[in-house]
Amino acid sequence: MILAVLFANSVGNVLIERFNGVPAEERLHWRTFLVKLGADNLKGVKNEELLVACHKSVYIVYTMLGDVSIFLVGKDEYDELALAETIYIITAAVKDVCGKPPTERVFLDKYGRICLCLDEIVWNGLLENTDKDRIKRLIRLKPPSEV
Amino acid sequence: MAQPLVKKDDDHDDELEYSPFMGIEKGAVLQEARVFNDAQVDPRRCSQVITKLLYLLNQGESFTKVEATEVFFSVTKLFQSKDTGLRRMVYLIIKELSPSSDEVIIVTSSLMKDMNSKIDMYRANAIRVLCRIIDGTLLTQIERYLKQAIVDKNPVVSSAALVSGLHLLRTNPEIVKRWSNEVQEGIQSRSALVQFHALALLHQIRQNDRLAVSKLVGGLTRGSVRSPLAQCLLIRYTSQVIRDMANHGQSGERPFYEFLESCLRHKAEMVILEAARAITELDGVTSRELTPAITVLQLFLSSPRPVLRFAAVRTLNKVAMTHPMAVTNCNIDMESLISDQNRSIATLAITTLLKTGNESSVERLMKQITNFMSDIADEFKIVVVEAIRSLCVKFPLKYRSLMTFLSNILREEGGFEYKRAIVDSIVTIIRDIPDAKESGLLHLCEFIEDCEFTYLSTQILHFLGIEGPNTSDPSKYIRYIYNRVHLENATVRAAAVSTLAKFGFMVESLKPRITILLKRCIYDSDDEVRDRATLFLSVLGGDGTVDTDQETKDFLFGSLEVPLVNLETSLKNYEPSEEAFDVNSVSREVKSQPLAEKKAQGKKPTGLGAPPAAPASGFDGYEKLLSSIPEFAAFGKVFKSSPPVELTEPETEYAVNVVKHIYDSHVVLQYNCTNTVPEQLLERVNVIVDASEAEEFNEVTSKALNSLPYDKPGQAFVVFKKPAGVPAVGKFSNTLTFVVKEVDPSTGEADADDDGVEDEYQLEDLEVVAGDYMVKVGVSNFRNAWESMDEEDERVDEYGLGQRDSLGEAVNAVTDLLGMQICEGTETIPTNARSHTCLLSGVYIGNVKVLVRAQFGMDSSKDIAMKLTVRAEDVSVADAIHEIVACG
Repeated sequence: MILAVLFANSVGNVLIERFNGVPAEERLHWRTFLVKLGADNLKGVKNEELLVACHKSVYIVYTMLGDVSIFLVGKDEYDELALAETIYIITAAVKDVCGKPPTERVFLDKYGRICLCLDEIVWNGLLENTDKDRIKRLIRLKPPSEV
Repeated sequence: MAQPLVKKDDDHDDELEYSPFMGIEKGAVLQEARVFNDAQVDPRRCSQVITKLLYLLNQGESFTKVEATEVFFSVTKLFQSKDTGLRRMVYLIIKELSPSSDEVIIVTSSLMKDMNSKIDMYRANAIRVLCRIIDGTLLTQIERYLKQAIVDKNPVVSSAALVSGLHLLRTNPEIVKRWSNEVQEGIQSRSALVQFHALALLHQIRQNDRLAVSKLVGGLTRGSVRSPLAQCLLIRYTSQVIRDMANHGQSGERPFYEFLESCLRHKAEMVILEAARAITELDGVTSRELTPAITVLQLFLSSPRPVLRFAAVRTLNKVAMTHPMAVTNCNIDMESLISDQNRSIATLAITTLLKTGNESSVERLMKQITNFMSDIADEFKIVVVEAIRSLCVKFPLKYRSLMTFLSNILREEGGFEYKRAIVDSIVTIIRDIPDAKESGLLHLCEFIEDCEFTYLSTQILHFLGIEGPNTSDPSKYIRYIYNRVHLENATVRAAAVSTLAKFGFMVESLKPRITILLKRCIYDSDDEVRDRATLFLSVLGGDGTVDTDQETKDFLFGSLEVPLVNLETSLKNYEPSEEAFDVNSVSREVKSQPLAEKKAQGKKPTGLGAPPAAPASGFDGYEKLLSSIPEFAAFGKVFKSSPPVELTEPETEYAVNVVKHIYDSHVVLQYNCTNTVPEQLLERVNVIVDASEAEEFNEVTSKALNSLPYDKPGQAFVVFKKPAGVPAVGKFSNTLTFVVKEVDPSTGEADADDDGVEDEYQLEDLEVVAGDYMVKVGVSNFRNAWESMDEEDERVDEYGLGQRDSLGEAVNAVTDLLGMQICEGTETIPTNARSHTCLLSGVYIGNVKVLVRAQFGMDSSKDIAMKLTVRAEDVSVADAIHEIVACG
């Protein structure tokens, strides 16, 4: 299960957060933990360089894309490798929507479409789509090109 | 630097004032949402409003029930619009709003229409939305469409249905299980993703059917799996099948190993790592099987991608716990990871190295770790400290450098858990390595000079009191201890007073000076400190006769001797009366723990921790029950109560089990009887015991049960006398006798005129064995306890235990026979082990402490030999233990 997908800006403000199977009272803890993790480690990291951590029995993979930091938290079958695969698709899709690694402004301008991409990629904690070209078509309700 | 939880709109950073969501406010957005109700829908405008709603929701904003309902109803109107972009947004916002079950009905017809639409993408999205919001009843209505969707030629529709299936399986498993034919078809799909989702769903549907999973895996490992993700799933399922097969005794060549090995050459890194991990986790993996996996993991250690390095080092870290030698080849690569920017990777590398390193590399390793410790978080530091503790136990000669390291980090900043881990480690080292004692104690003394944690200070003071007086120069610790009396809070002061008293008692030359120090404490502001000082002053002021000395020693140093849980229960059962509470009446038996609790407890206690407290069990009930029967009062204190032994098969008319209560010169058999026939009432229930095969036992009395109604258990007792303090054994045959009366099941009452019919019922035989005279009593440190017993009285012998399936079986047989407590986690035997040492402790009848070292060895034909070394306070008991084993 992918427990959380979280986007934050460069000063740690949350832009998007989606939790799956995480009780409401634990979300605050996760939010704080992830933002601190980013503040401690993401400084000076290259675009899309993946960082990884584990906390208790869950895995965290996170990265920087333009001005935006992206965090994924998973457990069980979603270990560091599966999360790395997922975050790779997310960054590819976001870059595709924004045309480049986004500034915060561009990210917010494209907010609706990014939400749609995310909806295609992770659905209720499970990875659904993995191909950015297909995702690009799906968010416009176009069938994938191979059909 | 980060300011978590500050919402975007609270931010006044200049750069951000261009944000499209600047000043966004829930109330205003909800107003804007009225645009959804316009007769002429403006798709662009509506999409913008939905985006704002999403923004609010994604920021953790919540809508009240009324707000959410209003927005939801408005959104449903947007189904009228044919604009595809808007429709996509509508699907998303409905999922996000997650309407309640009574509202769903508004939107189901629109969604069901979309689910059958000619436009593929409407179908896919409608399925996802419906599955998110519907309940079981509605699901049966649309099940037909979902089954169709699984085999849809459009992979997006198919995937949507399969992933929905994965979610629905949790809430409506019986419905989803009916789809397995369609899902099976999905596995053959040419689309990689459909195959991935179908595989996941089919496995979940069939996970409890071992044969089906094995067949699924067998088919796919031969065929082609199209995506790395599906391949990873397949590897996981394969390892599960391998495990199941091993559990069910299928031997010979390990099945599917070749498949796992071939995955090590896959082009996708995630598949390679998954396969390597699966191989390392195989039960009883051999070094030949391990080698290829370790080789690929080693390559990943120098990967430029942190995720791969992390995955590799994490796997190797696990392997190092069971097969340290297999990982030593990677040590050089691992050492370079100590400086890895990613601290998680560095910590894993260090802890792996600490497990695999050899004696010569310890110093070099410690140097590297010292630099590293300053910049990692406490949770990582604790892992490192624990690894160092085990390293020190492994290489006792290296204690100096390890102790220096621990004392250095003890002086640095850190939280309670971290400091406790260090203190526990130092204590373990002091206990296990006698040479390390003096320097270790001084490090602890220095630590309490500036320790902010009361708990740690008191624990260290207690430990100092036990170990300090036996050192070459005990006086050097007094200053540190007495400083506590001046500088600390009352709890620590009281502990310091107790410690001083211990020094005073043990070291004659210090006694006058300690007395002076204690006299100063009787003016302390705290009651407890004053009380202790006064008490110890009077103890120290005793006349010094041998008897008093022994009593004082017991008072100061003796452990409580009873498990705290038992003491607590006895105190609760004690009713205030003329008779004072007698601590000797408390049971000393350590109750065994249920397996689940053992698992939850995880690690064995180390350092300062006392042996694990046992949970309360039926024993406490027995204590109350026995003490309520006046006939048994003269027997004295119960030495041991056995667990119940069943004397009837399950599901017979009368269920009877027996508990053996062992007293010094009596044995009380407590027969717990249950009548399972609703139409019967049993009266005058008694057990006739034939003790002809138990020569040393003479029946003294029995206590019948007057009435045994249906399903209301009762007890009958039979009491035997046996020679005092002698572990007499014997076999007893039992017959239940009673008068049976018929009962009207509707009223539950017997006919008053019915005299009943006498009847009897044969029960199984019962044995009183040597193990019944042994109480399981653990020791906190086996080595110390062992060495404190006289080596002269040691009894050693060797036994052949014959052929057994495994060492574990032999270990269980011996421990069951002796009925002793297994110490220090030695009940765990590594798989494939050819030899094992088991440490046992117990108290034999007559309150004689017994310790046993049982060394087992197995040869190639599975013949097991055992060397049994016994030390006991009374040498005749050591002989008796050997006799038990020889006869067993």
